[in-house]
Amino acid sequence: MKRTISGLSAAAMLLLGTSLGAQADTIKVGVVAPFSGPFALYGKQFQEAIQVYQAEHGTTAGEHEIEFIYKDSGGPNPDQARSLTQELLIKDRVDYLAGYVFTPNAMAVAPLLDQSETPLVIFNAATSAINAQSDYYLRTSYTLWQVSMPMAEWAYDQGIRSVVTAVSDYGPGIDAENAFVAAFQEAGGEIKDSIRMPMSTTDFTPFIQSIRDQAPDALFTFLPGGPPTFGFTKTYNENGLRDEGIMFLGTAETEESNLQAFGDAAIGLTTAYHYSADHDSDLNRAFIAKNTEMHPDSVTNWATIGAYDGTHLIYEMVEAAGTDGPAAIEAAKGLEWESPRGPLVMDPETRTVVQNVYIREVERDEESGLLVNREKGVIATVGDLGWGK
Amino acid sequence: MTRLMRIPFAVEALLIALLVIAFFAFPYNLAFVTRILIMVLFVLSIDLVLGFAGIATLGQAALYGTGAYAAGLFAVHVTAAPLPGLLIGMVAGAALAFLSGLVLLRTKGLTLIMLTIAVAQICQEVANKARDVTGGADGLRGIRMEPVLGLFEFDFIGITAYWYVAIVVFIVFLALKRLAAAPLGLSLRGIHESPERMLAIGAPVYRRQVLAYTLGGGIAGIAGALAAQVTQLVSLEVYSFTLSAEALIMLILGGTGRLWGAIVGVVLFMTVHHVAASADPYNWLFFIGFMVLGVVFFLPGGMIRLPQALLRLGRQR
Amino acid sequence: MSLFLNILIDGVAYGMILFMISVGLSVTMGLMRVINLAHGGFAMVGGVVAHVLMSEAGIGYVPAALLGIVATVALAWPLERLIYRRIYGFGDLQQVLATIGLTFLMIATVNRLQGSSLLALPLPTVLAQSVDLGFRTLPLHRVIVIGVGAVVIVGLWLLIERTRFGIKLRAAVDNRATAGAIGINTGLIYTATFCLGAGLAALGGILGAEMLPIEAYYPLRYMVLFLVVVAVGGMGSIGRSFLAALGLGLIETASRYLVPEFGTIFYFACIILFLALRPKGLWGRLA
Repeated sequence: MKRTISGLSAAAMLLLGTSLGAQADTIKVGVVAPFSGPFALYGKQFQEAIQVYQAEHGTTAGEHEIEFIYKDSGGPNPDQARSLTQELLIKDRVDYLAGYVFTPNAMAVAPLLDQSETPLVIFNAATSAINAQSDYYLRTSYTLWQVSMPMAEWAYDQGIRSVVTAVSDYGPGIDAENAFVAAFQEAGGEIKDSIRMPMSTTDFTPFIQSIRDQAPDALFTFLPGGPPTFGFTKTYNENGLRDEGIMFLGTAETEESNLQAFGDAAIGLTTAYHYSADHDSDLNRAFIAKNTEMHPDSVTNWATIGAYDGTHLIYEMVEAAGTDGPAAIEAAKGLEWESPRGPLVMDPETRTVVQNVYIREVERDEESGLLVNREKGVIATVGDLGWGK
Repeated sequence: MTRLMRIPFAVEALLIALLVIAFFAFPYNLAFVTRILIMVLFVLSIDLVLGFAGIATLGQAALYGTGAYAAGLFAVHVTAAPLPGLLIGMVAGAALAFLSGLVLLRTKGLTLIMLTIAVAQICQEVANKARDVTGGADGLRGIRMEPVLGLFEFDFIGITAYWYVAIVVFIVFLALKRLAAAPLGLSLRGIHESPERMLAIGAPVYRRQVLAYTLGGGIAGIAGALAAQVTQLVSLEVYSFTLSAEALIMLILGGTGRLWGAIVGVVLFMTVHHVAASADPYNWLFFIGFMVLGVVFFLPGGMIRLPQALLRLGRQR
Repeated sequence: MSLFLNILIDGVAYGMILFMISVGLSVTMGLMRVINLAHGGFAMVGGVVAHVLMSEAGIGYVPAALLGIVATVALAWPLERLIYRRIYGFGDLQQVLATIGLTFLMIATVNRLQGSSLLALPLPTVLAQSVDLGFRTLPLHRVIVIGVGAVVIVGLWLLIERTRFGIKLRAAVDNRATAGAIGINTGLIYTATFCLGAGLAALGGILGAEMLPIEAYYPLRYMVLFLVVVAVGGMGSIGRSFLAALGLGLIETASRYLVPEFGTIFYFACIILFLALRPKGLWGRLA
């Protein structure tokens, strides 16, 4: 770890240090997330989750008042994420950072974290390698390996022996493909083909036809949320793959905010993921009831829960260590708590939460008439399986 | 403005004053001001290509991104000294501009625009596919710059970064100002206004345009290299259509064909974006939309014409 | 053989959708010589209105789609009178800026009213079926798109070549002053043509929503997609736009069957090759 601090930045640190000593009663948390543009929903979900947590637990942790400051990073834009983070650290003098939806945005601030010794809680970005860039990263979302490997193992246990993978051709898609292929072959299954679909694809028929021609037991996919996922699942349905018995396996594809738009085409899609709004627990029902009460238009999804648990983690760190970054990280390591998604442990090594991964199937809820991810199975206490890969 | 130009070194003095004022006025926002300066440089490169030489482009990000990746890879694999990295970024941007320009500049109009977009899209996909080299969508990481000239270390607040970028932008701006007054600049303007006439008087229109495009590519490459060195990470977004389009909007907002137009447009757009996005992120696009329409309807020549428009208004009263 | 047939069928179906969503742009950009980057915005408006009617008023797919098109035309009419009329006279760059500004306002409005998630246009069960072609199936929806596309191209050809309106339109486009001097109400012709373009955009947006789902950032997300069709087809010719859309659909589909890994690179390399070899057949006003 490079820890050379020039004279000027040492002065800045001094400035930071004194200010912190002076106003230890209020601890600020900078939240960097998209609040505008096509990904603005993330920022909105984060903000709502934080508000729910504060409504439930108050705005103080230990002796400290906690204040959140929001900054709009737009889409994947490391230049902006880094300069906003710098501004938060220098101007707003935050002691904790949170949010970060996109991997490059999170990666770009690693040197800043080391220099300022500021803990950063990732609410979303799911590439394992981020946490290796600095000791100050913590993650309350998930990693792609964490959910893709259990999917493969479960599929093999269900008697699925051959799979074609079809992922969007970019970092996260390839991560998901590698994880699934590794686990499925390890279990003894056959990968018939691995298709990588260009990001700009709007018509998925050619890929779906190729999969159909190879007649595997199932297909495994990973796509960015929104239009690509919509197009892929529609095409899967329209071309009769389901009728031919080719099962759909995925991860984040059926997340709740866009699920209703898929219509009946989504029914029967099987995914492995760490959170379903349909999770059967009193804690989860109370959490959703509170969120719906405070934000009637809001749809609770994995971004909401990532931010909610992240906020809990920050409260715990503040209570244990106040403004002392390294001590806060130590306090976070090994922390256990019960979340609406199930039991969580902050893994001391990977600094990503160890959690249950649920196998879900999309169904239409009889009571509400809405599409939900119904849990069909659970793989307990899964850590970040992609660490070091 | 024109009167100001006649005083020797007035422009230089004004620029230096602005840079010093910005430094002291925004001590906590240096990182943001540095991003504005890099964007100014990028938009200046479009101004040279579009405003002076009349080459319509919506794919300038191809050249910016290539400069960024070249400088980033150079820092990771060869040397982390900033100035050689800048040079590499410039050469990479210029080389791509030259090679693609040979084909592109045989066309014009919408065809040309489409070709520039296509080049940027191909670059983005190549960077995405070459994941082992570029890091793909996760970004190219591991860029840790050495001190500038071995003396000034990149600091936490961004003071070194600010002055480093400011000086580079200052030098390029002056070079472009010289170029605008030089025979090449005048010839480019002539080509912009009437390519047929320039052909008739025997000017090598195509070669001049390739030259201008190559120069623009070099400047865009420097801008990309600066961004890579300051952010210490390069992502696929450096090649995005949005970047090319936003930069073009900034240039037209400020006023094309004038170097100050690029500065005014970038500062205005990015400041409004920054302020509006922090005041009301969900609706900032309204502000930008109305601002863009307002300028195009009331100041068709761009914000740079505002003083003249006000003068005219004053005289009418 | 079946691979070849697959490429042919999917390519034509995809090309037809490309044509449907960009034909409106060919009309405004080609006939009226205005660089209308807000085209995708009109497609989105049609889709959003149809979505709201279906999800909140419970209206069926077909009437909602028709009302969506009507609403888009109703929006385009005053926009043309108040804004576009002035944009016609602008230089190219100002046209780009003005129509981008309009696009931003459309996006911001939809984002404000409907949020940024996907807005579904669920097909009625009758249309959500598949047609059996023997060796494979084709979604009925695509068959309908192909049918509507054919109707649109024949209708446009008849309108422009065989009606009084078409004669006046061609006269107004060729020389507005002369057309005005011989008593043609060029203002009205322009308004009507612009509304036609906007209505076609809405139709394309709604029919294409199965593939390009409606959401607030639709106009920016697919801007390049629309521009490619018009650039390759050349301005001012509905027929060539149609051929370009089919060709592009076939190339993209073929690349996805044959070289899925390098689909994007292959697609844009083809475009560069084509435009570099055949720049002359295209419209060259922007220079």
